[in-house]
Amino acid sequence: MTRQFKWDSGIGLLGLLLLFVGSYIGLFVAPSERYMGEVQRIMYVHVPCAWNAMLVYMLAFIFAIISLWTHRPKWDAATTAAAEVGIVLNSLLLVQGSIWARATWGVWWDWDVRLTTSLIMLLLFAGVLALRSFVHDASRRATWTAIATIVAFVDVPLVYFCVRWWRSLHQVQSTPDTVAPMMVVPLRINAFAILFIAIWMMTQRARLELDRRRQDQVSEPERLAPIGGSNNA
Amino acid sequence: MNLIGQALTVVRKDLLLEWRGKGRLISVLMFGVVTLLLFSFAVGPDSTLLRAAAGGFLVLALLLSSTLGLSESFRVEQEQRAIEGLLLLPVDPIALYYGKTLSNTLFLMLLAPVLTPVALILYSVQLDLKGLAVLLGLWTLAAAGLSAPGTLYAAMTSRLQSQDVLLPLLLFPLVIPVLMGAVKSITLILTGDPMSQVGSWAALLASFAIIYWSLCGLLFPHAIEEGI
Amino acid sequence: MSIRATDSATLAIQTRGLGKRFGRQWALAHCDLQVRPGEVLLLAGANGSGKTTLLRLIAGLYKPTQGSMTIYGMDPDQEKLACRRTLTLVGHDNYLYSQLTALEMLQVWTRLRGAELEKAQAIELLREVDLHDRRDYPVGGFSAGMRKRLTLLRTRLEEPRLVLLDEPFSALDAAGQNLIEDWIEGYRSAGKTVVLASHNLPRSSRLCDRAFLLQEGQILWQGTGEAILDQVGTTV
Repeated sequence: MTRQFKWDSGIGLLGLLLLFVGSYIGLFVAPSERYMGEVQRIMYVHVPCAWNAMLVYMLAFIFAIISLWTHRPKWDAATTAAAEVGIVLNSLLLVQGSIWARATWGVWWDWDVRLTTSLIMLLLFAGVLALRSFVHDASRRATWTAIATIVAFVDVPLVYFCVRWWRSLHQVQSTPDTVAPMMVVPLRINAFAILFIAIWMMTQRARLELDRRRQDQVSEPERLAPIGGSNNA
Repeated sequence: MNLIGQALTVVRKDLLLEWRGKGRLISVLMFGVVTLLLFSFAVGPDSTLLRAAAGGFLVLALLLSSTLGLSESFRVEQEQRAIEGLLLLPVDPIALYYGKTLSNTLFLMLLAPVLTPVALILYSVQLDLKGLAVLLGLWTLAAAGLSAPGTLYAAMTSRLQSQDVLLPLLLFPLVIPVLMGAVKSITLILTGDPMSQVGSWAALLASFAIIYWSLCGLLFPHAIEEGI
Repeated sequence: MSIRATDSATLAIQTRGLGKRFGRQWALAHCDLQVRPGEVLLLAGANGSGKTTLLRLIAGLYKPTQGSMTIYGMDPDQEKLACRRTLTLVGHDNYLYSQLTALEMLQVWTRLRGAELEKAQAIELLREVDLHDRRDYPVGGFSAGMRKRLTLLRTRLEEPRLVLLDEPFSALDAAGQNLIEDWIEGYRSAGKTVVLASHNLPRSSRLCDRAFLLQEGQILWQGTGEAILDQVGTTV
């Protein structure tokens, strides 16, 4: 079968291109930050990752509600795809955050509000996928994935505020608020770049899920001939 | 019969089962006591350190015991598929959920009268009666918060092979707000609360409980649509 | 005795193209069933032929993959609780809590149905299945046959219009089997509908008004109770 060039491949390519442009500007054109120096440039991927991770989790939540409502396989595939892509972005976020922490505060891990929240978020959604992997029946798997996704997402704001209060005894880290225009440009470009790549990954993943499900969808067997023909009833 | 009547019938049945099978409650209690003991070995015999961490250890003991209690509460249901016998009756699934959640909350509350004195003695913490009353109130809020998602997930995992792994995996990250709220507030009760922050932590525990009691009540009927 | 009335409201059970798939396996397919109120129906067939699946679909424990059905004119999807009030199923499991006594089990079931069971009534019921001496013993100590009898009492205390029985004779001694036979006769004369799945054909075939033979999840043959004995002798 010849593969058609699909719209989402275009979006994926566009995303990669934008990521290249944005990162180039971020690395070579934008001025370096006054206090933190060159390491601040990690922000150009870190912040877009954070925005998009939240966005994608939010999509997972919305898809989960629709999936629970309609019981349609495509929404289950979308929920799973969004949860998995969310986990990928979330993991990147943690690694970048850890590098940032090492460079600015000298430690690999800091109980910073956002870093802690994103770790808990990762564990929450990893749990959803773990549950999913244990359920064999397709329709029950869809229902339970949706339920677990909703339960996990509702927890995110609670966790965020909780960690903030919990941290409030310590001093709160400040983030740079003096931002030069040449810093905003790569940030914006990369935000869209990662958004496009995320959309591309989600559509690929959802398609894969639907394909897998279709393999299980054995059509109803042929009607067997009644015995004896004496259907006297 | 209305929803409340059905839910209370479920609670009554669960309490009766708990009473008859006292062994289960006692085992979970013993487990909690053992964890309290083990935590003190992790810190060492430094009474200042122990006192500072007492609240955290107490809440962790509750959290660890809770998964045992929750999975037990559905093991009785699955043993001879009694839960299916209930689902076949004209029982509103919502009544079933709130019945089970309430009895799980009560079960976790029963841990307090044993675990608290043990923690006070082991970690040599002083507590007056008023403090004790506040602690029990906070414990109740934490128990309610743990039970709401705990009952939903215990029901969902009760027939999966790996419930023992899966339930904590799902529940522990989810109840981190409960953990933090309970640890902070109970520690303040035990070590003094100069800025009277206990109220706001109690409010957090209460909001978690309210949010998840409502949300999981809405979701539970979907979860058991095709039986459990 | 062919059924011509297709008005679903007058039928106890009507299924249209009912099918259920588990994973890649169709446990039931193309099931068109029309059962009038007051009929006693027998489902026969080898293990894995779809009898239990069909009963569980009717009881609302499974959601159909394909097709639709009505129970006394009600759509089980729309009126779940009303359907549950109408029917009762006793399946392979006993639905018991080992630590509760026979009497307490009956009380829990009745209360959840929204009724109250007097102790005298409960003892009367237990006397029917010869368990009245054991009423205050935890059911965990009961033998398989005693548990089955206790669980079969659910069909008595719930007063449903549709009784679904999956292997009601298994685990029971001759006296117990006779008792269940009497009950089913009683249900028929009271105008209740009974669907039973059984391997005990000599016993169940003389009870039923109509019999169905299932194979590979499909109804291959239907006829009278007497006829199924000959049919099964030649095909299965």
